[in-house]
Amino acid sequence: MFMARSEYDRGINTFSPEGRLFQVEYSLEAIKLGSTAIGVATSEGVILGVEKRVTSTLLETSSVEKIVEIDRHIGCAMSGLQADARSMVEHARVESQSHAFNYAEPLRVESATQAICDLALRFGEGADGEETVMSRPFGVALLIAGYDEDGPQLYHAEPSGTFYRYDAKAIGSGSEGAQAELQNEYHKSLTIEDAETLVLKTLKQVMEEKLDSKNVQLASVTKGKGFRIYTDEEMAVVVERLPAN
Amino acid sequence: MDSLVSRYSRPAYEENEVAFRDEEQQDLELMGAAPPLSLKFAMPPIAQPSSWLRAATDDRSNPDCPIKIAHGTTTLAFRFQGGIIVATDSRATAGNWIASQTVKKVIEINSVLLGTMAGGAADCQYWLAWLGMQCRLHELRHKRRISVAAASKILANLVYNYKGMGLSMGTMCAGVTKEEGPALYYVDSDGTRLAGNLFCVGSGQTFAYGVLDAEYRYDLSDEEAVELGRRSILAATHRDAYSGGFINLYHVKEAGWVKLGFEDTNPIFWKTKLEKGEFTNVTADLN
Repeated sequence: MFMARSEYDRGINTFSPEGRLFQVEYSLEAIKLGSTAIGVATSEGVILGVEKRVTSTLLETSSVEKIVEIDRHIGCAMSGLQADARSMVEHARVESQSHAFNYAEPLRVESATQAICDLALRFGEGADGEETVMSRPFGVALLIAGYDEDGPQLYHAEPSGTFYRYDAKAIGSGSEGAQAELQNEYHKSLTIEDAETLVLKTLKQVMEEKLDSKNVQLASVTKGKGFRIYTDEEMAVVVERLPAN
Repeated sequence: MDSLVSRYSRPAYEENEVAFRDEEQQDLELMGAAPPLSLKFAMPPIAQPSSWLRAATDDRSNPDCPIKIAHGTTTLAFRFQGGIIVATDSRATAGNWIASQTVKKVIEINSVLLGTMAGGAADCQYWLAWLGMQCRLHELRHKRRISVAAASKILANLVYNYKGMGLSMGTMCAGVTKEEGPALYYVDSDGTRLAGNLFCVGSGQTFAYGVLDAEYRYDLSDEEAVELGRRSILAATHRDAYSGGFINLYHVKEAGWVKLGFEDTNPIFWKTKLEKGEFTNVTADLN
């Protein structure tokens, strides 16, 4: 796919003559190797779902953490290099806490996403006086789900630092098939239960392993309960509800 | 060699004052050891900010000091079998002026931890709110509640970094966790941190200790404990001119704290005197 990209794919902040930043584009490729993650926003709240890729029967599946809490009202799902996501999540958590400390109000979901994306471009040598924190772009994309005064929202943040708001979005290795499925199935009047089913049904179609309650994880963000990761029992109930095949 | 010795024998706060003038060095020193947030305070442009501040604000050594910091108080907290009782008065004084009768001296750090306010109201309010943020971050990072020991240690370490620079706070951190049971720590702006069964802090502390020490037992029932907290604060508001207003009462349990009331001392005083026959010193009869 990327053949003969000449010298311009070495420097991480040098444009090629065609106006491309190859390392940033390659980082987007790293996400396509990651496990699939899906987010669906409804009027009642947002559902996030990820596949866990259980690579060994000896693996403790509860230690595979691909959905994490940022604050009571914001959570995110990741696909790509897990380790890179740690620093983004930590940054977002501190940002959310210091916003609440300084302004006595919860951080808005868009602002949280913006804060994460600000971090995404701090790679390379950096301009004078500007702090750089990384030698390369992030290799992970996030689906950020949250609830604020504007209601439930879902954002997709990329290593390139761009972010968009979505009604439903899939990232990771199965994203192309999953996105097409979401496109067909999504409508504005989905309930939380519908969204749970839609997320799992879509994951099931694109996963290589057979879906069960151990190798997928769901989480929700709603007005009343905030961000919540589903327990094993709740997962079993939703998986049970899925239509056969 | 001599220069090395003199460098390391300087008091800690002088080291910091030098560092505060050099922003880069300040970042290096503070970012490592101390928490990275909220620590960029500018120091006044004089040789000894801390002694200047003391001279300007210490109304005990100089009653005519130009800045009077609000700090008369009675606060108490004690451990017992049913959790922890936290009780305070609500008066703020600046010199002999009553600035407010409705101060909330129990600071809700989060839904399970309480702090009390004695000393500089602003210092307590700011740093306990800041502590609340650190506790929440600890919770997010480690997926479990912070222990009361750890929370109080964060605060003690923080104030120690500012030792000698004019912070004024005497606070108690109270919480109940599964691992620790009821846990109570006293932390003050000198950096002292003590675990204990009961503490009273503030200008009215001796009066509160008098009642609390006499009646305190660990196996107090919930009702007895609440009444003892209330009665101890009442005694302090009665004898200490810098304490008064309302009695603020909290009961801390493992599931979190419960606010029991913010009650005017006056009716409580007359109820205690007339119905229980206490405070017989208050009388017009001079037989």
